[in-house]
Amino acid sequence: MATTTATPVTTPHAPRPEAGPRKRRKVEPIYYLFLLPALVLFSLAITLPAVMGIFYSFTNSIGFGEWEFVGLINYQAMFSDPAILQSYLFTFGFAAVTVVVVNVVAFLLAVGLTARIRFKSGLRAIFVIPMVISGIIIAYVFNYLFSNSVPAAGSSLGISWLSESLLANPDLAWVAIVVVTAWQAIPGTLLIYIAGLLSIPGDVYEAADLDGASKLQALLRITLPLVAGYVVINVILGFKNFLNAYDIIVGLTNGGPGTETRSIAMTIVTGFTGGDYAYQMANATVFFLITIVISLVQLRATRGRSAL
Amino acid sequence: MRFLLSKPEAIPYFRDLIAEFNASQQDVEVVFDTSSNLQAGFLRGNPPDLGLLNYNMEMARFMARGALSDLKDMPEAGRILPEVQDLVNNLAAYPGRTSVLPYSVMAASVIYNKQIFADNGVEVPETWDDFLAVCDTLKAAGVVPIYSTFKDAWTVSQGLFDYTVGGMVDVAGFYRQLREEGTNVGPDSEVSFAKTLTEPVSRMEMLAENYTNEDAASRGYGDGNLAFSKGEGAMYFQGPWAFGEIAKSGPDLDLGTFPLPMTDDPESRKVRVNIDLAAWIPEDSTHKDAARTFLSYLFQPDVMNAYNESQLGYGTTTDAAPVTDPRILGMKPYFDEARFYQGASQAIPLTIPTENYLQGIVTGAGVEPTLQTLDADWARLALRQ
Repeated sequence: MATTTATPVTTPHAPRPEAGPRKRRKVEPIYYLFLLPALVLFSLAITLPAVMGIFYSFTNSIGFGEWEFVGLINYQAMFSDPAILQSYLFTFGFAAVTVVVVNVVAFLLAVGLTARIRFKSGLRAIFVIPMVISGIIIAYVFNYLFSNSVPAAGSSLGISWLSESLLANPDLAWVAIVVVTAWQAIPGTLLIYIAGLLSIPGDVYEAADLDGASKLQALLRITLPLVAGYVVINVILGFKNFLNAYDIIVGLTNGGPGTETRSIAMTIVTGFTGGDYAYQMANATVFFLITIVISLVQLRATRGRSAL
Repeated sequence: MRFLLSKPEAIPYFRDLIAEFNASQQDVEVVFDTSSNLQAGFLRGNPPDLGLLNYNMEMARFMARGALSDLKDMPEAGRILPEVQDLVNNLAAYPGRTSVLPYSVMAASVIYNKQIFADNGVEVPETWDDFLAVCDTLKAAGVVPIYSTFKDAWTVSQGLFDYTVGGMVDVAGFYRQLREEGTNVGPDSEVSFAKTLTEPVSRMEMLAENYTNEDAASRGYGDGNLAFSKGEGAMYFQGPWAFGEIAKSGPDLDLGTFPLPMTDDPESRKVRVNIDLAAWIPEDSTHKDAARTFLSYLFQPDVMNAYNESQLGYGTTTDAAPVTDPRILGMKPYFDEARFYQGASQAIPLTIPTENYLQGIVTGAGVEPTLQTLDADWARLALRQ
C-alpha cells in the first residue's frame, strides 16, 4: 500500500481520502452514496448470514425447529473430530501442492506462448479452453478417464500402479485431484503470466543478448524478477481458490476412498445437509478465522509488490 | 397446495395422478414439486404442504424436532401395518405423534442370475457355510461370485454392509441400546460398533476381498447394472430399484432374490427393507386441509397398489394387494412374516460419513480402526445434539 514510507513505490496522485490527517480534509458525501448499494448488499448477503452462523455455532440447532444453547461444546467436539482435522490437513496439503504445480506449469507455458513460435494465437486459444468448462463437468469426464481409459492403458503397458484406477487408491487419489484441479486452474494463471511477460520491454533482452547472456540466464535473471509481482498474485489467488476445493472433488471421488480426500468445504456442506447445522457452523467459523489470518499474513508479505 | 415427490422413477406416475385429481374436483389444486431442497424449505419456514419421500435419518430429524404435524386422527393411519409403522419409530419419534405414514416399502436382498446358478450346479444357499461353498464353486469356475461397485460408496453400505450386519445382528435393538449409551459409546460401553459389529463387518471385508470382481474399486452403480445384465457376475447386492436398470440392457435375464444367510440357522434369514416412500404434512404448512384431502386420495387402495406394482414395492397397509413379480417373489414370505430389518447404515445420522468409512474398509482400511472411529463419531454427536 502507498501509506508506508518503507516502500519505494508510492502513488501520490491516487485520490485516497484517508491518506492525510482527517481534520483538514472534508469528504464529499457523494462518495458514501456510491458505497451504499454495495454495502447494503454485502451486509445482507454476506455479513448477516455469517453473524447468524456464528451465533448458531453456540447452539445445538439443526437448522430449524427447537434448539438450545450448548456453549462451546461444538468447538470442543470439533477439535477432537478426526474427520474434521483430517479434512484440514488434506485441504492445506492439497492447496500447497496444487499452487506449486499450477504456477510452474503455467509459467513455463506462458514463456513458450510468448516466444516467437508458429500458431501462437491458435495455441493460446486451445490452452485457455479448460477455463470456460464448469468444474463438475471436467470432474465427471476425468472420472471416466481415470476409471476406464487410464487403467486400460496402464495394464496394456504393464505399469501395475496405473492399471488400477487412481481414484480407488487411498494413497494416490489426491494426485488425481491435483491433476484435474491444475488442468482447470492453469489457463487463468497462464493468462496473467502472459500479460506479465508481455509487459517486459524488449530492450532488456537485447541488452542481455549483447552482454552474452544465455537463454536460461535471461529467463532466471531477467524474466523471473520482472514478473515477480504476477507470481505473488497468482500464488495468493490460487491458494485461496484451492482452499475452497469442492466441485472437482465431489465429481471425482466424493471424498473417497474412505475419507481420504474430503476437503473442508465438503465436510461443511455434507454435515450441513446431513442436519449438523450448528456443528458445521462452528467448523465454518474456525475456517473463517484461519483464512483471515492467512490473508493478513499474505497482505503483509506482499506489501509494496501489489503496485506492480 | 404444494406436493413434493422427488423419486425420479415415480415422477411420471404421480404426474398423471395429479392431473387426474385436479380434473376430478374444484376444491384442491395440487402443484407438483419434484426438486426443492428440503433442508432449505424447512429452514425458511416454507416447506412443501405434503411430502411423499424416502424415509431415512434425514427425514427422521424433521420429525424428531417436531416439524411434522400429527396425522393420528386420519383413517389412513389406522390402516398401516403395525410392523411397518414400527420401521418409522425405529429411527426417531416425537412423543405422542404419528407424523409419518409409510406408503411403500422396498425389500432388498441378494439378486442372483438363475441361469448362472443352474449352469454351475449351485442352489440358493440357506446357511453361511452354504453361501461360502456357492461362492467357492463359482470362483473355481471362473465366474465372479458377487459383482461389486465400490466406487459408489452407497452401494457398499446398502449392500454388503447392511446384508451382513442385518443377517447377524438385531439392528433395531442395537441402535436402541446405542442411543441409550449416547456419549458413553466406546471401548467400555455395553454395545458399540467395534464390539457388536466386528464379526459381520469382518465377514463383509472377507467377501469383498475374495469374491468380488477385481476392478470393483473403479466400478460405479451404472457400470454394475450393465455388467450384471451381461452376465459378468452371479450375484449382485442391490435392491429392487436396480431391476429396471438391468432390464434396459438385459430384458430377458432370469433373476431372483434371496436373503443373505449369515448364520447356520436357515430360520434366522431376514431381508432388508427400507421405507421407499412415506407421507407427512409439515407443521408449517399453510394448506393442511388440502394436503390431507390429497393424502387420502393417494392412500386409496387401488392407487397404492398400482404404484407398488409398477415400482416392485411392498404395500404398507393391511388391505394391500400381494406382490406377484417373480423377481421379488422370493422375499414375500419374509415380508409377510415381518422377518425383516432396516439397513444398519440407514440408522446412522447422515452427518457421520458412514458410506465413506465403509468404502474405506473394502478398499483397504482396517475393520477395527474404522469401527472405533464410528464409535467416537457417535459419542461426539451425542454430546452436541
